[in-house]
Order: sequence, then C-alpha cells, then structure tokens
Amino acid sequence: MRNKTGLLIAGAFVLVVLVLGLSVAGSYNGLVRLDQATEAQWAQVENTYQRRADLVPNLVETVKGASNFEKETLTAVTEARAKVGQVTSGAVQNVVNDPAAFERFQQAQDQLSSALSRLMVVVERYPDLKATQNFRDLQSQLEGTENRIAVERMRFNEAAQAFNTKRNSFPTVLVAGLFGERFQSKAYFKSQPGAEKAPAVKF
Amino acid sequence: MRAGFALLILLLATAFAGAAETPIPAAPARWVTDDAGFMSVDAARSLDRKLEAFALATGRQFIVYIGKTTGGPPIEDWAVRAFEAWKVGRKGLDDGIALFIMADDHQVRIEVGYGLEPQVTDLAASRIIREIIVPRIQAGDHDGAVTAGAAAIAHLLSPEGIGQSDGTSRQPRGPGTQGRSFSIWQLIVFGIIGVLFLILLVTHPSLAIFLLMNVLSSGRRRGSDNSGGWGGGGFGGGGGRSGGGGASGSW
Repeated sequence: MRNKTGLLIAGAFVLVVLVLGLSVAGSYNGLVRLDQATEAQWAQVENTYQRRADLVPNLVETVKGASNFEKETLTAVTEARAKVGQVTSGAVQNVVNDPAAFERFQQAQDQLSSALSRLMVVVERYPDLKATQNFRDLQSQLEGTENRIAVERMRFNEAAQAFNTKRNSFPTVLVAGLFGERFQSKAYFKSQPGAEKAPAVKF
Repeated sequence: MRAGFALLILLLATAFAGAAETPIPAAPARWVTDDAGFMSVDAARSLDRKLEAFALATGRQFIVYIGKTTGGPPIEDWAVRAFEAWKVGRKGLDDGIALFIMADDHQVRIEVGYGLEPQVTDLAASRIIREIIVPRIQAGDHDGAVTAGAAAIAHLLSPEGIGQSDGTSRQPRGPGTQGRSFSIWQLIVFGIIGVLFLILLVTHPSLAIFLLMNVLSSGRRRGSDNSGGWGGGGFGGGGGRSGGGGASGSW
C-alpha cells in the first residue's frame, strides 16, 4: 500500500519534470529557429546592399564621362559609398543584435540611397547621357537592386517581428530571460522620410 | 528608456502588421491568365500550351498573368506579393518566373525567382520589356507583345536544360541551419527525461503512451508544409520564391 503511494508521487514528479523540460526545450528551440531565420534574412539584406554598392563605381565612371557633369552630386555619391564600405566591412559583426550598429548601418545606406536618387534627378538635365545604352543598362540594374533591397528589408522586418513576438510573449519570455543576451529583441528597418514609394524607383 | 524602446517596437510592429495591403487574387489555374481581355483567346491558349510544355520539359514554372489593375500599390510591390502567394517555381530551387501585365495601369513586370536570377538578370529582363514588349503594345499588337516577350524570356532559360540551376546567387535561408550550442545540455535533459519516461512506463503505461503520442504528433505537425508540384495540366504553385529580381516598364 505504502509502495503504491510512493510510486504515485514519483509518477507525478516525473510528469511535472517532463512537461517543464519539454516546454523549456520547445521554447528555446523555437527561439533559435526564429533567430536563425532572422540571421538568414539579414544575410539577404546585406547581399542586396552589397549588390548596389558594387554598381556605384561603374555608375560614377559612366556619369563622369558626360561633359561637365555636376561635381558636387558625384562627390556626394562617392562619399556615401565609402561610408557604406566602412559600415559593412568585416569589422562590424552582429549588426542584427546591436541596435546602435543597426542604426549606423541603416543611416549609411539611407544616405547612399538619397545621394543616388539625387544623382538620378540631376541626370535628367543631361539628355545625351540619359540616352546612352550604357547608362540605361546601369539604370535598370540600379532599379532592380533598389527593388530587391525594398523586398529583403520588408522580409527582414517580418522575420524580426516574428522573433520579437515569440520572444516577448508568455511563457517564452521567461525562457529568453534565462539566456540573457542570447535572445535580445531585434531592431527594425524604418522607412526613410519621404521614401514611402521606395519600391517603385522611377528616375 | 527601456520601456520607451519597447513601446517603439510595439508601435512599429503594429504599423507593419496593419499596413493595408490590397488583396492578391487567388492563384491562377492556368499558365496564362488574362483577366483583362488583353489578348485574343486563341493566342492566350496557344501560349498556355507552350508554357505547359516548357514546365514539363524543364521543370521550371513560367506563368503569365494579365490583370486590370493592382488597385493602388506599385506593380513591383504587387508582383512580389503575388509571386509569394502563388509560390511560382519549385521549393528549394526557386526556379519560377512570372510575367505580369496590368492593362489599366499600363504597367508590365517580369518577376524572377531567386534561382533564375543568374539566367534572367535585371538587365536582360529590362531589355525584353523595353525592346520587345512595350513597343509592340504601343503599336497595338497585344498578342505579339505577350507571345514574343514570353518567347524571349524562355529563350534565356531553355538552352540550359533541365535542373541545372542551383540558385548560386542566393544565400542559404530559412530554418535549415539551426544553432547547435545547446546540444550537450540537451543530451543530458533528454537522458533524464528518457530515464523518467521508462519509470513512468512501468508505473503508468497508459499515461506514458499517451504522452509519447502527444510529443510525436506535435513533432510531425511542423514538417508537413510541403505542397507538391502540379498535375493535370494546370498551374499549381510548387513553393518557389522571388526577391524582387527582374524589371518593370510602362507604356
């Protein structure tokens, strides 16, 4: 009789431990999965930005060829491009989990965006340049790249939102708390002021 | 400070979730769909057969969708959402491609799946739109615009043969690579759970089996996200994705 009660208590204890262990492991794995999805999406974002940065030297060369093209505009683009290079170089790791680094990254990229769009506006005044095949090709590549950036940024925000929602909801928030820095909330991309129509880059 | 940050995140999160989006129509059942009466029925049917043969021969899904309007958003935005919703192309390979025309918006877009970006570059897509599609539409030759445009796109893809594309321009994405930092701890926990489970199995067999079933079924639920290819001639999404690659134009 006493033996039976002992077994019952042991059984209840086992059950509690089992449920707790499973739910902690489940929460942890869920967080890891979403965290990795965000990292993968971040790689996509960096990829598309790199693609744009690679286009810039070519674009600058082509525009430079046009007679007496505005120097100021070109300098702005070149400088913004150099800054982007600093922000994205290997020295800056873990941008996703560091809000300050994330902010710097976004600022530099947005600066390049506005320098490039200013360049495209100025080009309107040089019809000869605008009509060349070389420039039109570069323009369509740049348009495509800007569109990719918009898409991957949007998907990054979705991935980050999925992570943050999971991270901050009960009871996962308790598990996330156990691991401290490992599962911080992720920052989002904010749309640039005056760039609500970002996906449709019509120069 | 912390609360302010949390509030900011919350605000942003709701802003993104609440961004009003025009609905994307249900996935088309054919390879060529003309909801705007843009093409002649014969030309659409003939192109549909060609694209079906193309999909059977190469495995790559190439669809043409002609609508009236996106209902406001730019066609780039609309196209990437439609592509995502319709899952054009095979899962993993992402080798789908779509030609969208919005007749009332006077806009056209070629949306390229991740896996086909090396073959159909933005530049190539832009040239097809600028030099083949738009001039024909402007000349009033709608059938010719769509047919010749589709042929030019298919030409970029077909010399390559079947299954050659492996999406090299693409980063590995999604839940394929999971962190492994947990493994030792996990092993210990699983070991303890295993022993406890064995004890439970002896003392309360029915409860143990019930728990086992529960755990197994919840594990299975996650993996069943595989909507197969297509059959019966019509188009059915294979799970492909695009990342905004391609080009657009207007007339």
